[in-house]
Amino acid sequence: MSGAPGPILEVRDLHTQFSTLDGVVRAVDGVSFDVARGETLGIVGESGCGKSVTAMSILRLIPRETGRIASGSIKFEGEELTSLSEEEMKRLRGHRISMIFQEPMTSLNPVLTVGTQIAENVVRHLGVSWKQGRERAFEMLDLVRIADSRRRLDEYPHQLSGGMRQRVMIAMALSCDPQVLIADEPTTALDVTIQAQILDLMIELKEKTGTAIVLITHDLGVVAETTERVVVMYAGRKVEQAPVEALFEEPLHPYTRGLMRAIPRLDVEADAAGTRPRLQEIPGLVPILTQPIVGCAFAPRCSFATDRCRNERPPLVDAGAGHLVACWEVDRVRRAA
Amino acid sequence: MTAYIVRRLFATLPVMAVVAIFVFFLIRFAPGDPAAIIAGEDATAEAIAQVRMKLGLDRPVLEQFAIWSLQLLQGDLGISIFSNLPVTRLIAQRLEPTLALTLSTLFVAVALAVPIGVVAAWKARKLVDRLVMGFAVLGFAMPVFVLAYILIYFFAVQWRLLPVQGYAPIGEGFWPFVESLILPSVALGVTYMALIARITRASMLEVLAQDYIRTANSKGLATDRVLLLHALKNAAVPIVTVIGIGIALLISGVVITETVFNIPGLGRLTVDAVLKRDYPVVQGLILVFAGAKVLVNLVIDISYAFLDPRIRY
Ligand SMILES: Nc1ncnc2c1ncn2[C@@H]1O[C@H](COP(=O)(O)OP(=O)(O)OP(=O)(O)O)[C@@H](O)[C@H]1O
Ligand code: SF4
Ligand SMILES: [Mg+2]
Repeated sequence: MSGAPGPILEVRDLHTQFSTLDGVVRAVDGVSFDVARGETLGIVGESGCGKSVTAMSILRLIPRETGRIASGSIKFEGEELTSLSEEEMKRLRGHRISMIFQEPMTSLNPVLTVGTQIAENVVRHLGVSWKQGRERAFEMLDLVRIADSRRRLDEYPHQLSGGMRQRVMIAMALSCDPQVLIADEPTTALDVTIQAQILDLMIELKEKTGTAIVLITHDLGVVAETTERVVVMYAGRKVEQAPVEALFEEPLHPYTRGLMRAIPRLDVEADAAGTRPRLQEIPGLVPILTQPIVGCAFAPRCSFATDRCRNERPPLVDAGAGHLVACWEVDRVRRAA
Repeated sequence: MTAYIVRRLFATLPVMAVVAIFVFFLIRFAPGDPAAIIAGEDATAEAIAQVRMKLGLDRPVLEQFAIWSLQLLQGDLGISIFSNLPVTRLIAQRLEPTLALTLSTLFVAVALAVPIGVVAAWKARKLVDRLVMGFAVLGFAMPVFVLAYILIYFFAVQWRLLPVQGYAPIGEGFWPFVESLILPSVALGVTYMALIARITRASMLEVLAQDYIRTANSKGLATDRVLLLHALKNAAVPIVTVIGIGIALLISGVVITETVFNIPGLGRLTVDAVLKRDYPVVQGLILVFAGAKVLVNLVIDISYAFLDPRIRY
């Protein structure tokens, strides 16, 4: 797309923490990445590695009672988001950065019509009348290919299927032509055929509108099919980042390799429930985030681990061609391939 | 929706019929002979028999019931034994104060409690919330008559801002009417206010944790829209239910309330009629009270369908 050069979104050394009875949870522990204009960036990692918290931090939707962005910087079009007022943040949300969530069954308000929920976003941010807002909602439902869209405007979420609700969420999120769409596991709760349809739709719309997408998922199959660049997260940290081909060509982090081995084959996919199994097949447990992690967070589960791994945190290094990895033993890992 | 409302209205008829039958026989089989009481303490057996005949109490019960039901269907509740006036007219005369007090109490309670509950939920565990909940516990524990006397002492006796007690009909000027209602409404309303505020807070807290509120916030909607539309509409069913229960309690409580505040409404009429065994009036009043409760129940039920599209009708 056009516009100023440079990334649309820059996240630098983000630390997001929660105060709980067990202590401080370091949910995001120093994550950095850029999102280029119009690109699709994937963020992958096992459950609990901090993907959602990263997304919620960008929109500054971390619950204020328990959580906070402890440090770091988030720049959108060069503007620092962490220091914006709440009112300024509200003008951005749903307008220039929008978000869709994993649970299509519960993410729409059950007592408001689909038309109202899309139109209110447009009315709020583009300052148009309700009549124009509704017209826009109608256009958007057409765009996400919901049949009989005129009538659907006046329906309530419970009258729609899961796939249709997620289409409505997409319609809502894109209704103000945002520069960035953060999709947090948008298809995880859907069955496989619908998953593919929704992903295709998102990519098609992205190409049409130039919206950059941050696609959060634990499904490497989805990453391979839809993203251009991938960030791999583990225990609140970024452990690897690469263009999608390079990552699948030669994963450099032992954790990424573990994920790849756990990937369900796309040609045999889908269990009885119609969903791909979660990626939890790497032996061992995710570290407890209330304890400060010394050294490499993956060390307890890593077959390459050495004493240095357990005592010193591996820095992110460029292994060539924009392929970053945080691992002391990259060379050994490479040779082991 | 209209068809649904009409259907629900018709569904209340059997309920009212059962109430009517129950009321009729309850009075007939209650201990004490109305004729004897009406005839007076020293009346002879002959005099009592005469009264009984005049009242039609000498006829078979079923015949009495048939006559009474036929009249009832025509909207005729009979004639008061003491004043010889139609019961409908007696009730109509006393309806205004009771209606005014019930509605104004409800207004005081709901108009304050719902916003208070919403704010408390929004600022959960902050100072405002703690103050509100402290007040709610206090308000709920405070007996109405204690609060009433405190209010009367300060506002009426010390500062002379409002009348001590009594009722000024709306026909005699709007301001005196409103002034006469303020103290009783506040005194009565505080309990309900506390109750409704608590339910509002609890219901809102539950709703505010839902995914769709996160969605609403991710759209950058204004706080008032998130709270008052997205959240409150979802939280409304329990709130409306409690308001309905509050109305029912208020209706049952008019006898005491009107005595405390010296208001000449249906409650006082009830006390007088019961003491004098004016059973046509008692019957009429019970029917009116029961009818009012059935109606409130109906309105609450219908409001559910408006508030939640998932409720099928
Ligand atoms: N409100 C909260 N209070 C306390 N801890 C939290 C809170 N939200 C998230 N966490 C913790 O932060 C960590 C990261 O959570 P996050 O939701 O970002 O994981 P995720 O990568 O999105 O996982 P999933 O794939 O299951 O969605 C987890 O350990 C989680 O328990
Ligand atoms: S740094 Fe060490 S423990 Fe961590 S992934 Fe690399 S080899 Fe394994
Ligand atoms: Mg998540």
